[in-house]
Amino acid sequence: MLPYVLLFILGVLPVMAQAQEDGPAFFEKSVRPLLASKCLGCHSATSTPIMGGLRLDAREQVLKGGGRGASVVPGKPAESLLLQVVKHEAGPLKMPPGPKMKDAEVAVLAQWIQMGAPWGATAVVSQAKQEKYWAFVPPVTPTAPDLKNKAWARSPIDAFVLAELEKKGLAPAKAADKRTLIRRASYDLIGLPPTQAEVKAFLDDSSPEAFAKVVDRLLASPRYGERWARHWLDVARYADSNGLDENLVYKNAFRYRDYVIAALNKDKPFDRFLTEQIAGDLLPASDLKQQIEHWTATGFLTLGAKMLAEDDPMKMEMDIVDEQLDTTVRAFMGLTIGCARCHNHKFDPISHADYYSMAGIFKSSKTMEHFKVVAKWHEFVLAPKEDRDKLAAHEASIEAKRKEIGKITKRENDVLVKAALQRVGAYLQAAARVKRDDEIRVAPVEAAPGAVVREASSFDSGNVPRELVKKKTNVPKDGKGPYFAEYKIDVPAAGEYQMDILDEEKGAGTADVWVNGVWMKRGADPVQNREASPEADGWTYVAIIPLQKGSNTIRLEHASRFPYFAKLLVAKNTLTVTPKTVVQIATQFGVNPGFLEQMVDYLKRSDGAVASPLYAWEILGTGGKLADWKSPVAKLFEGFTAANPEALAAKYQTLFLQALEKGKDNTDPGLKTLHELLVEKFGPFRAPEGTRRYYAAAVRTELAGLDKQLKDLEAATPDYPKAMGVTENSKIEDLAIHLRGSHWTLGEKVPRRFLSALGGDKVSIPADHSGRLELAQWMTRPEHPLTARVIANRLWRWHFGRGIVPTVDNFGRLGERPVNQPLLDWLAVEMVKQGWSMKAMHRTMLLTSTYQMSSAFDAKANETDPDNTLLWRMNRRRLEAESVRDGIMEVSGGLKTDYTGGTILKYKDRQYVTNTSKGGDVDYDRPIRAVYVPVVRSSMYQLFSAFDLPDPAVSNGDRDATVVAPQALFMMNGSVMLKHSKIMADGLLARADLDDAGRVREAYERAMSRPATAGEVDQALSFVARMQEAWKGSRASAWQSFCKSLLASNEFIYIN
Amino acid sequence: MNRHWNSYLNKALSRRELLQVSSAGFGSLALAGMLGQEQLRAAAPSPLSVKPPQFPAKAKRVIFLFMHGGPSQVDTFDYKPLLKRDHGKPLPFQARKVVSSETFNLLQSPWAFKQYGQSGAWVSDLFPETAKMVDDMCFVKSMWGTNSRHGGALLELHTGSDTFVRPSMGSWITYGLGSENQNMPGFITICPTQSHGGANNFGSAFLPAPYAGTAIGSVGIAAKDAKIPFISNSETPKEIQRKEIDYSQVLNRKQLEMTGPDRALEGRIESFELAFRMQTEAPELQDLSNETEATRKMYGLDNPITEDFGRQCLMARRFSEKGVRFVQVSHTYKWDQHERLKRDHEQNAREVDLPIAGLLKDLKSRGLLEDTLVLWGGEFGRTPTAQGSDGRDHNPEAFTMWMAGGGVKPGLSYGATDDYGYYSVVDRVHFHDLHATMLHLLGMDHLKLTFRQAGRDFRLTDVHGNVVKGLMA
Repeated sequence: MLPYVLLFILGVLPVMAQAQEDGPAFFEKSVRPLLASKCLGCHSATSTPIMGGLRLDAREQVLKGGGRGASVVPGKPAESLLLQVVKHEAGPLKMPPGPKMKDAEVAVLAQWIQMGAPWGATAVVSQAKQEKYWAFVPPVTPTAPDLKNKAWARSPIDAFVLAELEKKGLAPAKAADKRTLIRRASYDLIGLPPTQAEVKAFLDDSSPEAFAKVVDRLLASPRYGERWARHWLDVARYADSNGLDENLVYKNAFRYRDYVIAALNKDKPFDRFLTEQIAGDLLPASDLKQQIEHWTATGFLTLGAKMLAEDDPMKMEMDIVDEQLDTTVRAFMGLTIGCARCHNHKFDPISHADYYSMAGIFKSSKTMEHFKVVAKWHEFVLAPKEDRDKLAAHEASIEAKRKEIGKITKRENDVLVKAALQRVGAYLQAAARVKRDDEIRVAPVEAAPGAVVREASSFDSGNVPRELVKKKTNVPKDGKGPYFAEYKIDVPAAGEYQMDILDEEKGAGTADVWVNGVWMKRGADPVQNREASPEADGWTYVAIIPLQKGSNTIRLEHASRFPYFAKLLVAKNTLTVTPKTVVQIATQFGVNPGFLEQMVDYLKRSDGAVASPLYAWEILGTGGKLADWKSPVAKLFEGFTAANPEALAAKYQTLFLQALEKGKDNTDPGLKTLHELLVEKFGPFRAPEGTRRYYAAAVRTELAGLDKQLKDLEAATPDYPKAMGVTENSKIEDLAIHLRGSHWTLGEKVPRRFLSALGGDKVSIPADHSGRLELAQWMTRPEHPLTARVIANRLWRWHFGRGIVPTVDNFGRLGERPVNQPLLDWLAVEMVKQGWSMKAMHRTMLLTSTYQMSSAFDAKANETDPDNTLLWRMNRRRLEAESVRDGIMEVSGGLKTDYTGGTILKYKDRQYVTNTSKGGDVDYDRPIRAVYVPVVRSSMYQLFSAFDLPDPAVSNGDRDATVVAPQALFMMNGSVMLKHSKIMADGLLARADLDDAGRVREAYERAMSRPATAGEVDQALSFVARMQEAWKGSRASAWQSFCKSLLASNEFIYIN
Repeated sequence: MNRHWNSYLNKALSRRELLQVSSAGFGSLALAGMLGQEQLRAAAPSPLSVKPPQFPAKAKRVIFLFMHGGPSQVDTFDYKPLLKRDHGKPLPFQARKVVSSETFNLLQSPWAFKQYGQSGAWVSDLFPETAKMVDDMCFVKSMWGTNSRHGGALLELHTGSDTFVRPSMGSWITYGLGSENQNMPGFITICPTQSHGGANNFGSAFLPAPYAGTAIGSVGIAAKDAKIPFISNSETPKEIQRKEIDYSQVLNRKQLEMTGPDRALEGRIESFELAFRMQTEAPELQDLSNETEATRKMYGLDNPITEDFGRQCLMARRFSEKGVRFVQVSHTYKWDQHERLKRDHEQNAREVDLPIAGLLKDLKSRGLLEDTLVLWGGEFGRTPTAQGSDGRDHNPEAFTMWMAGGGVKPGLSYGATDDYGYYSVVDRVHFHDLHATMLHLLGMDHLKLTFRQAGRDFRLTDVHGNVVKGLMA
């Protein structure tokens, strides 16, 4: 019995044995190391910050606790918060971050508290011996592990993988067959299936280097960059439009994309690749070509989704900085820094100050031209210096021309306004008349006896097309406005006539009416909700116009278009009360129609409000009482009784002139109020829209000339290619800490530097540098603990389907730990050793037994490691969105690989883009490689979103591979599938050299890279026969059905 | 006891497993049946399978009537007599620090207000039909947000964040409760806007893809032509397509025999069956022709002005009835009257007033209003001060939203703005509070509906939000 009991005590409950020891010894032996390794990183005097205000490095601190009160109640484990937290029994607060403490460790703490929480020899627990977080320690080459199956391990990668497998008693799967292998490697490296010739060559090559040759061939193919660029573009959250609030087209984003493709194809070392993207503009360039390449690379920093219409420009700027900083740190260092914008990072040693140290770098860089609504991002002009200078000079001359026009306009408007201000009385009277006439509803006369009716197309002179079309602009190509049509109309007697129009198109605004050279009516403005506005079918009343006996000319005119109508009618006026148009009334009262309309508008809105300075006028005829008037102006009317409207208008006229005399210096509150009305920014006497028509003819001519010059200048702007990108700001500055992330509450200023936990605070940045170049240099130092690990891990993720650190974008404490750290560290060291060559790393990873394993299922291994985290077999993988599309197109024979760059977006730069997903504007189905298909944020190509292309709003190196019904719907109904299954079927049928069985075999070879079995051929032939019947004899359709079914099958969509 | 809601929901499935489970996409019950594995059903619930609420809920589903552009509160439901009295005077207090445009003096409403129903709620002449339903409605007069631009405000309304891309409220709700109809998406948005955040307003961001809103049509597409992506093709007759799928499935099953068990491959087999069923069910639900003449009239389908929005509302009722968790209909970007307030607000109201009243009446008569939460509103309100001569600027400081059904107090007017309707002052309700309250009505604690992403537990309400108890029946 005794040995059993002993075993029990020693092995399973070691704490029980230690319970006999004295307190301090137990603390030193069991508790202190535990606290040091699990807690003190964040909870000691030297922690920055001290998380939750809690220190666990001294007994009195432990008893005092942090923000939540005492952490330990001596003798009472159950009541001690510390224990509840490590047992995950204290609600959301769970410590330590990451994996839960082992039961044995929890038991140690419980025991210690039970003992009364005794302390050790030294009062304060030192952090010195504390293990540093693994990811912040530079990787070193790990020692080679001891292995049982030495023969299997062809490379250190294999050795590290196998060592973990052997620890678990697992064996690696057998090698994959050659067909599987070449299909796997082809999709992996170039995103396309191997051709039949390539498969055959590989099968025929029995040399040991056969697979290495395949890998080299694939790496040398230009298709490699097109495939692997997409991986990096996910990380770079690449898109061709802004897509956050205002979806403006990034017309030049494609240059960055093409830069990435080229960089990968020429195997640009990753450290150089990184540096160009962060600080390309600061690197010396040997020629313009290289200069352009460097500029284009910085597009990385500009491509993010931004709030371009933010009323608070400081918030906008800091949001953009935040996006750049977060993306940079996540992409290259695998850390999340965004939360430090508002407070210290809760789990990683990234302080609030660190954040603003780094934010200062991007704040000192110029990403935007301005932060007005809608904000404008900076673009490099990709041309030699002298051309860029020329362009700048040209743009300055355009600006000068605009100013010149603005100056004249202002001068002339001032003249108009000044004249109007002298005649308020007349405006009031005219406005009253307009208000009266507005109330008169006139019915169209339609077919009155003696009416003259003219077809729209029967105009006697004009510069518009004969046949007008609804909803069109109806102007000739290269025409020059104003556009007009004139109708000569004879009437037997002089007098007033009613004019009507048939089927007037109101939506886009109506035409002005002129009669015998006199302006009669202003056209209506366009309707805002055109789609929702009903069409005005039938006859519409236009105006009462005076005609002379005999011939008259009616002219319809519009400045920029010519609205549709069907007929025009003129008939003798039979109305007893005749309404007049605003223009006619303005002429009658000698005032300007523009100000008059504004006055009418003002009176309509005010409508007898007691605060209105025009109250006295507004209540005329309404029964309102002057006694109710509450405006300061009321005093000026004390004792005044209006004999008639003319007298009241005259009184107002006098008062307004009086008010005008002193202007702002009026001391009388009534006059002051009247003056305010005259100068009110949105009041009746602001310069009306379209004022130009009221200018003197000479001025109009002068302005028209200037307009033309401006237009010519704009048209003559040299059109150089441009690239989005970042440059140094004119102002280099350190930022103050923004308390709680708000720029309204600033703390102390912090110098520009990098992450202090990684020694980034030891680097100094010259005062006149933003620090981007220094940041890139710091990140690419070989001993940087994160950069090489993060990219090596990404490469591994993209080859094997899962990262060694599965959270590829988060190496922090809340990410997952590496499943095989020696493997990761070996890769990181190797990467630097290989001169940061990505192609070398591909070879290193692919020419291993690990990569070349089969994906066959093994029940026993599956039980031990169901998720295949240790890689006992190769992961079976679903094709990614791009390969689904490119694969279908390639197998069908429809893919064009000669399109190797540029953009198929037809939009202009910075143009709004709304809905492209429904097609139309963007030819998403064009059979070019998917990498060249635009990524329109917020309206992504439906195929991309159905097959898990990550949301390009955020940097993301890990793609989901969901299998959901919308993907099946794409396979069943998507246009890519329908078109390309047809191309494939037609191609098969055109093969006169093949019989039907041969066609089935051909289809299998292309789609699955393997021959069909005899059974499969029979099955396929009988299916085709049945389908031909179902398709009523159409052989082409039957074969298309076969191709569809084949391409929709799992075997095509999955890579073994 | 305070477990993370998502781990509870997913029965400790890791994110990776969750994604594999989503292999079944719109439901894996049939998969379990087909494979004859009862355990699989227990171990692998579809992401959309029904999950019980955290506590008994009043509301089971949501219909959101989104008025894009920002309807003016002082011209619709927030009656301000002083605005008429002081028309033309300057705003007697400080305006907002950050504004999108300059506004001038106070502008009275061009519409008269009247009191309606037992509750005596004030409604302007813009909404004569909706006004008849006030005793079923609960007005929140004290809404406020922080962003004065459409893009930011839309995102704030839909996702709670005007800074980052976050899951939409519809995604959170579907994530929390699943969907009662496994042949349809759990979150549908009919003719959504493509601007001002576009798809981010109904996207699932970091939540798994099945929780993203499925757009039926989009702005510019008539409701009668709106379709789910890839839902049909005009080339392949149904019976033929069935044969094509059958043949694929023969190949798939044979391959599965070779590979051994593989959840993804199995899931993909089932996804085709689901897609095929969805292909039948979705168009049926969208087909309004079998609704009675009276119903069609009630939604205004007989009038070209109300037809389009009426169709959206009627579709929403049909989806809700069939268990779709969250349906949004959009009256897209029409309510932005910086000018021509009188004409265009009137036109807008005419398009939606009757269909909205019809929807409320219809839900009520079918007994659906009881557990359906209807929400109405825009991304912000408008200034009581004038922009130009006949317009109002954006105003996130105060606006009205209303709710009906689903456990809110009928006939209630909650909160208040100042005398002119510029600031929300009494019982202020921020978007975060609205979200917290909606979740509460649906039986979820907004503090516990979380999802772990990049090492942090995210919530719809971020670190904000209070449940507005005063709104509840």
